Amino acid sequence: MNPLLPLLLAALLLLSSSITYPTVNDALSFAYEGAEPYVRQGFTFREDAWGGDLGVGDRKAVRIQLFKGNEYWFITGTDKLKARVSVFVYDSEGRLVSRDHWHRSRYFGAFVAPPKTGAYWAIISVERSPAERTAWALVYGYR
Amino acid sequence: MTKLSFRLAFRLALFLLSAAILSQFCLAQTHDTPQPTISFQDFPATEINDVIIPVPSEIFNVLDKLGSPNWHATILESRPNSTSSRTHTALLLGITIADGFLAVQAKDSEKIKEIGRDVLSLSEALGVRDAVIARSKSIIDQAEKKDWRQVRIEFDGALQDVRSAMRQLNDEPIAQLVSLAGWLRGTHAVTSIILNNYSPERAELLHQPDLIAYFDRQLDSLPQKLKKDNYVRKIRPALSKIMPLLGIHDGSSISPDNVAKINQITSELIQNILTTEE
Repeated sequence: MNPLLPLLLAALLLLSSSITYPTVNDALSFAYEGAEPYVRQGFTFREDAWGGDLGVGDRKAVRIQLFKGNEYWFITGTDKLKARVSVFVYDSEGRLVSRDHWHRSRYFGAFVAPPKTGAYWAIISVERSPAERTAWALVYGYR
Repeated sequence: MTKLSFRLAFRLALFLLSAAILSQFCLAQTHDTPQPTISFQDFPATEINDVIIPVPSEIFNVLDKLGSPNWHATILESRPNSTSSRTHTALLLGITIADGFLAVQAKDSEKIKEIGRDVLSLSEALGVRDAVIARSKSIIDQAEKKDWRQVRIEFDGALQDVRSAMRQLNDEPIAQLVSLAGWLRGTHAVTSIILNNYSPERAELLHQPDLIAYFDRQLDSLPQKLKKDNYVRKIRPALSKIMPLLGIHDGSSISPDNVAKINQITSELIQNILTTEE
């Protein structure tokens, strides 16, 4: 047996875990999958979606108009099984308004019942990931 | 010698793998509770989109909860025809899609089918027929089944499909005009509903200064040729008039007078767009 074989195998393993191909389409599919329980509860999810890829610790801000009287679920999906891509919603003063959230597998959900009609910020953050870059997608539904 | 090298390489490989596994555990450290406040001044995040434009249903949904508006009364009687001007046709398409949402609110399946066909015809004039043909068919089918929720989703999808197709044609400004006209028509309908039965809660729905600012920036960035268009050049001054009427601060009250003024301004714009100047 070649003495370098274990080293080569280890290097190959390490390389395969660090080389990533962020696929936003996959992330989007997972986001819609994470939204399914809320569709059954009467939430209408928009066909518009937002996505990209981020490094661990990076954040993305999405400005969004919300209406008092509606309820919203924001769902993120990611292509990485061990990643946690969170979404929290803040008002224009920087106060947290999403009151409920959960994280399961590739999905993250945050619930908002806006106290006022106005512009809010959805902050997407890659909190952890096994990869250097992590694909994410955001969808939201209203009821 | 070979045996020693093999052992050494094996140990090194084990060390590397252990380090990799340990790094995965370190990555697993998360902040399960969000920050209760954030400062946007210190915020390192990058921003995507100026602001996400809501679909009309998001607003209509709230109005439904606050009473039973007469949605039928808000649907336009005359249906727009495409013109030789792409700019004008884009504005007409935006108005038509917004009307589709109104017809869904009114649960008027005949009107929905009519509008579904109009969406297809206007899209054809803009060269994006293929992008919406399936939507148009689905709108008509779902209206037949009176599946209002699905019809609403299809109208939302039609709007997205048209915009995506425009972008693929490198026609982003035209895509923006579709959105803008849809917003104007939606706002016109909402102000009509609010005026029929005013309450501060209903009027608060109009508080959308970020959207006005966003549309203003979009109009400002249009190519000169589009800026000078007879229909488009009337919109920007109208937006400037609407802006102070919407309430500057979140939660600020919007008076019945202001709602009436917004209704008047948007009504004039819509009527102007529906009138062919050729």
